Amino acid sequence: MIMLLPYAVAALVLSVIAGGLLSGVDRIVTARLQSRQGPPVLQPFYDVFKLFGKTHSVVNPWQVFCSFVYVTASALALLLFFMRGDLLLLFFILTIGAVFQVVGALTVNSPFSQVGAQRELLQMLTYEPILILVFIALSMKSGSFLIADIYRLEEPLLPSMPLVYVALGYALTIKLRKSPFDISASHHAHQEIVRGVLNDYSGPQLALLEIGHWLDVVLLLGICSLFWSTGVVGMIVLLAATYFVELVIDNVCARLTWQWMLLRGLCAGVILCVINLFLLYAV
Amino acid sequence: MQNTLVLLCIVFPALAAVVMLGAPGRAARRAVIFATAAVVGVSSLLLAYHGPFVLSPKTFLGIDVNSVINTLDFALLLFILYLSFRMKNSLVTLFTVAQIVGVAYLHFFMGHESGSSPEIQADSLSLIMVLLISLVGSFICVYATGYMRAHEEHLHLERTKEPRFFCIMLLFMGVMNGLVLSNSLQWLYFFWEVTSLCSFALIAHDGTPVAIKNASRALWMNMLGGVGFVLALLLLANSGHELSLSAVLGDGTLGGNAAKVLLLPMALMCFAGFTKSAQIPFQSWLCGAMVAPTPVSALLHSSTMVKAGVYLVLRLAPAYAGTPLSPMVALFGAFTFIATSALAVGQSNGKKILAYSTIANLGLIVACAGINTPGAISAAIMLILFHAVSKALLFLCMGAVEQTIGSRDIEDMRGLYSVMPRTTLIMVIGIASMILPPFGMLLGKWMTIEAAASTGWPMAPLVVMLALGSGLTVLFWARWAGILLGNVRPGARPAPEDQDGTIRGPLLILAGAAVVLAFLSPVVYEAFVEPMVALPYNLSKGAFTDKMGVYAVYPIFIVLALGARWAWKCAARSHAEDKAALPYMSGIQTTAADGTTGFMGPMNKPEKAISANYYIRCLFGESKLTVVSNTASLVLLVVMLALTTGGLQ
Repeated sequence: MIMLLPYAVAALVLSVIAGGLLSGVDRIVTARLQSRQGPPVLQPFYDVFKLFGKTHSVVNPWQVFCSFVYVTASALALLLFFMRGDLLLLFFILTIGAVFQVVGALTVNSPFSQVGAQRELLQMLTYEPILILVFIALSMKSGSFLIADIYRLEEPLLPSMPLVYVALGYALTIKLRKSPFDISASHHAHQEIVRGVLNDYSGPQLALLEIGHWLDVVLLLGICSLFWSTGVVGMIVLLAATYFVELVIDNVCARLTWQWMLLRGLCAGVILCVINLFLLYAV
Repeated sequence: MQNTLVLLCIVFPALAAVVMLGAPGRAARRAVIFATAAVVGVSSLLLAYHGPFVLSPKTFLGIDVNSVINTLDFALLLFILYLSFRMKNSLVTLFTVAQIVGVAYLHFFMGHESGSSPEIQADSLSLIMVLLISLVGSFICVYATGYMRAHEEHLHLERTKEPRFFCIMLLFMGVMNGLVLSNSLQWLYFFWEVTSLCSFALIAHDGTPVAIKNASRALWMNMLGGVGFVLALLLLANSGHELSLSAVLGDGTLGGNAAKVLLLPMALMCFAGFTKSAQIPFQSWLCGAMVAPTPVSALLHSSTMVKAGVYLVLRLAPAYAGTPLSPMVALFGAFTFIATSALAVGQSNGKKILAYSTIANLGLIVACAGINTPGAISAAIMLILFHAVSKALLFLCMGAVEQTIGSRDIEDMRGLYSVMPRTTLIMVIGIASMILPPFGMLLGKWMTIEAAASTGWPMAPLVVMLALGSGLTVLFWARWAGILLGNVRPGARPAPEDQDGTIRGPLLILAGAAVVLAFLSPVVYEAFVEPMVALPYNLSKGAFTDKMGVYAVYPIFIVLALGARWAWKCAARSHAEDKAALPYMSGIQTTAADGTTGFMGPMNKPEKAISANYYIRCLFGESKLTVVSNTASLVLLVVMLALTTGGLQ
């Protein structure tokens, strides 16, 4: 596994670029779906560079701490992914970033940040159990939590685990901050809590969070790709289809309440996973 | 050598407790506590250094030790009976009488022999428990010297109650050491009941009506567990078993008939363990225990009392492995984990959050014992260890905070960092050590989920409960850490913090221990856990490896530590150089005359911006959720006992 380290570091650097490009494509496709022209594909990079150049101005220095820890954790989680490491460990490390993003928002006495942070916590409460169950389902099929072992499988996982994949879709939608689950912070600053959990991060800190977000998206898509681990073409088709479906859902759905997400979304995700586990066991 | 060390660990604190009653002043009391802490701490380290041992102290100074324990047993039960009459608590009376009858029957009619097994037997699980009790317990006692001084000043007592308080605290440590070192079940039972009495006395310490009410509830619940214990002893004696752990564990592993006869006694002992560990539906005694001074909570929640319960359940795990009892124990523990985690989400009372989180983690440990694979047993021991350190730390922080700000509500702790920077930082480390890697609790949780996943489909409800419970845990800890670090006045530097050395010292040491032990977890594992289990993990280069996965402790720790250091440096530089901004409130944010932030109100006057956490009481409120979860857990308990009575025929 340690032999994969140089390759993993390179992949991590590429992921930053890939994540930014993906965000750019996302914006163009979304714009086209809404009959707009959309920004250039490199716009996310322009945004981040601009943010890095802004005057430093912070409400609470702990926010600086939190944004750096967030990026560190996201990068480490992704690195573990490229090293074909342990999915559970990767999940725990991903939690560090998510927790510190919320902690940073909670250190600020703005109602927008505070409400955003509380909602972000509820989003975490929704996607974390689903992710754990998805990983457990993967481990039951491949015999371990190691990504390396999943790559050793000879058959793709998707045909035997379609329901788990749908459950993973819930987690992906939440992590991508897409409607109907863009509850704690929307991509568009027109919601009732402005930018929610990101409200009081500004300048370089916001840039760091944006980069961390790209890395998280790459990681989540990486986890999706495990469901078609046997061929590159199938993997790309699956990811492209998944992302396109996410974009369509984002554009046709209104934002739901956190109550709906917590009660229906979480239950549905858990039940889908359990049914799929049962099918794996029974068939 | 070990003879003396065991005496120093068990009898010395008890003697010091007696001396404490006669200690003439605060300085003398401090001296006794520091001396006991030093003696017990060093003895426990030496014991652990020398490794596993057995002792059979038939006589001590010419007296038969077994008969001393038996006599003390009766004296103890009669004293509790007297207490129950004085409190007019019929439940305690009932359960005590039942135990007296049972113990008397065992002694006078069953005519069993104490047998050839040694009375004292220590393996690495016992030793790790002794270390926790003696070291964490000692730090708590040292902390209590500073805490109780302020506590009594606050209460304006005419006559100090400190001698009584510290007497029981010290006695508790000795008794707990006895409990985890006993091989004889009669000894274990005796120590078990003393811990019930000690916790009763400590909870009732302040003497308020609420304190006495909660203490008597703790007593009846624990005495109910005691009844289960005595019944188990009677059944074991009846089936011709020698009353010792080694005999029971030896028989259980034979399988077949012997194991079948053992099933009900094991279930009853697990039941006793559940009451002591405050598993649902017995959680109310531990939640009620927070009326006591905070060091008591720290002691009860971290290294003593509740850990005795999970210790017993874990200790007996090999005896019920492969029986229907095992999955039931796992389900019961996992249910406690999720139910109490949910209850914690609905709380704003900091001590109650800590209490529910303790019960949840004990549930997790019980679940591990029930999963009963080598990996799960490893997880349970690691969780016991790291939870003890982190929870002691958090309770001690909580006590210091409560004495400074005069509230235990977490909403009142918003911006605590500007008032108590050091304590807040330590508390945040404590919180992180509960939910985030690279801390040890996460290693335990990783092992737990791995073990649960390897049990396959039949345990699907278990993994679902573990997954949901983990999510809930992160929620209530993360928001607490966040509001602690808030600042009400942007740009202001936190005031330096003045704190008594007896309080600061234990906080710093325990926080250091949480970090260092997390880093050294592979070493700790090799020293204490590996001898207990059949090698579930391969340890190389600081990574836990098995066929299910890899947890690389050292690389993860180092990368995250470097990341945190980098983040800290950048934050410090930003604090020194950057412009302080106001939080964004739609452009009308402003600063009030006292420097706090808010917004321009309709009358063009600054208004305070006030926020609070989502407690979602409609889902996680105590009143509704307690009824539901108590009912569900009672059903689980009844099913568990019903499944095991099949072994009688």
